[in-house]
Amino acid sequence: MGHVKEINVLIIVFTEMRDKLRKWREDNHRNSEQIVDVGEELINEHASKLGDDIWIIYEQVMIAALDCSRDDLAWTCLQELKKQFPGSQRVKRLAGMRLEALEKYEDASKQYDSILQDDPTNTAARKRKISILKAQGKSAEAIRELNEYLEQFVGDQEAWHELSELYINEHDYGKAAFCLEELMMTNPHNHLYCEQYAEVKYTQGGLENLELSRKYFAQALKLNNGNMRALFGLYMSASHIAASPKVNATVKKANVKYAAWATNQINRAYQLAGRGTKENKCSVKAVEEMLESMQITMS
Amino acid sequence: MGEVELSCLAYVKMYLHGCLFPRCSVNGLLLSSSPAGGTVCVTDCVPLLHSHLPLAPITQLALTQVDVWCAQTQQRIVGYYQANACVSDNSPTPCALKIADKIAEQCNNAVLLMIDGGKMSPDYRVPPIVMYERKDTRWTLKDKHTIMLRQWEETREIASQLLDSGDHSLLVDFDSHLDDITRDWTNQKLNAKIAELSSPANGNV
Repeated sequence: MGHVKEINVLIIVFTEMRDKLRKWREDNHRNSEQIVDVGEELINEHASKLGDDIWIIYEQVMIAALDCSRDDLAWTCLQELKKQFPGSQRVKRLAGMRLEALEKYEDASKQYDSILQDDPTNTAARKRKISILKAQGKSAEAIRELNEYLEQFVGDQEAWHELSELYINEHDYGKAAFCLEELMMTNPHNHLYCEQYAEVKYTQGGLENLELSRKYFAQALKLNNGNMRALFGLYMSASHIAASPKVNATVKKANVKYAAWATNQINRAYQLAGRGTKENKCSVKAVEEMLESMQITMS
Repeated sequence: MGEVELSCLAYVKMYLHGCLFPRCSVNGLLLSSSPAGGTVCVTDCVPLLHSHLPLAPITQLALTQVDVWCAQTQQRIVGYYQANACVSDNSPTPCALKIADKIAEQCNNAVLLMIDGGKMSPDYRVPPIVMYERKDTRWTLKDKHTIMLRQWEETREIASQLLDSGDHSLLVDFDSHLDDITRDWTNQKLNAKIAELSSPANGNV
């Protein structure tokens, strides 16, 4: 009887691990340390039970292993995949990624070039080449290549977002805004894009941009009323507009109202958060005082 | 210019902040609980962001909140730290200079600290940091001999221990706080753990 129970527990553990890996794959989570932990055990102890799943797990674990500097594990996974899928472009790309992890950028680039020779539309290889430029700190070139890529593959969301990040790091806010506009158009329900767009507009400054930022912070909140950045952003942009000497009385009044509403919401959120935990008493107090002091300067 | 002293608490939290987000640029504020004048004693730090460092709203928000907290706890903002995602380049970015300039407006011997990501491996023998101070209007490299870290060996040991035990995940930066406002960006829990590890009872000091 004891044996049966033991085996049942093992099966449960095994299926849990396999399901976890699948969930992280589907959600595209980059929790590499966990993936290596779970994946390594799965591969070492339960390979026979995995069936055809094992190949995609090898790929997932290999990439995570590279992220954690576990070249030993990455190498093992790569060998298994090479054996099973000789001549595969997908495996070639993984080999390239390993070279990148070892900072052998020229060799990695050659690997991707050879993929592109056989298949010029291979987007994965093109994007890896751009990642190499980024890793080498060659931002201007990465931006140029990414723009060229997007002319051909205009629907690649990941690429648009990467480009917006590159532009933000270069302080080119106008172009970053353009990328985020593309993303908002194709993903109208994504509150994060709205909020990021609002942050870029706020950073650009000037009354017109502040008003735009306020509108998009509000939109982000509509899509997700738990987005604290959007809530604070709404408060700050409305406060700045209300305090500006360039606005007329009507606009000032409206923005004072928006700011007051945001203040209320922020206070409520922090009261709720503060209940039961001693931990964030400091931040609750800091927010209260900040809101008070900003109100004084506004009127 | 003047001497700067970096406490174990400040160093360990900065280091862990960098370790917690190895693929991102991270930044934060350096605080002092000592009165102004003489040596700048960095006694604590507040980790701020790990995304979109150059964008204004959250940075402004964080600066304001930390300001308020400092007033409540008799501390001052005396500097700024940053670790770049690209470890081969540890020079201050334009946004680092901007924020440091702002801090220098209120604190005339403010420091700008860049963490050298390339030198953060477990067996590093010197602190992987580069400090700048303001001379006229430019940030210039500080003479290494004016930077003090008391009990460096113990500090490094504590940082290693927390990393090994996975306790670095206790660290909350302002970004993480905004993702979940029940999390405490003043890091009282982590501070306590660090104090525990550096107490004489543990054989340190």
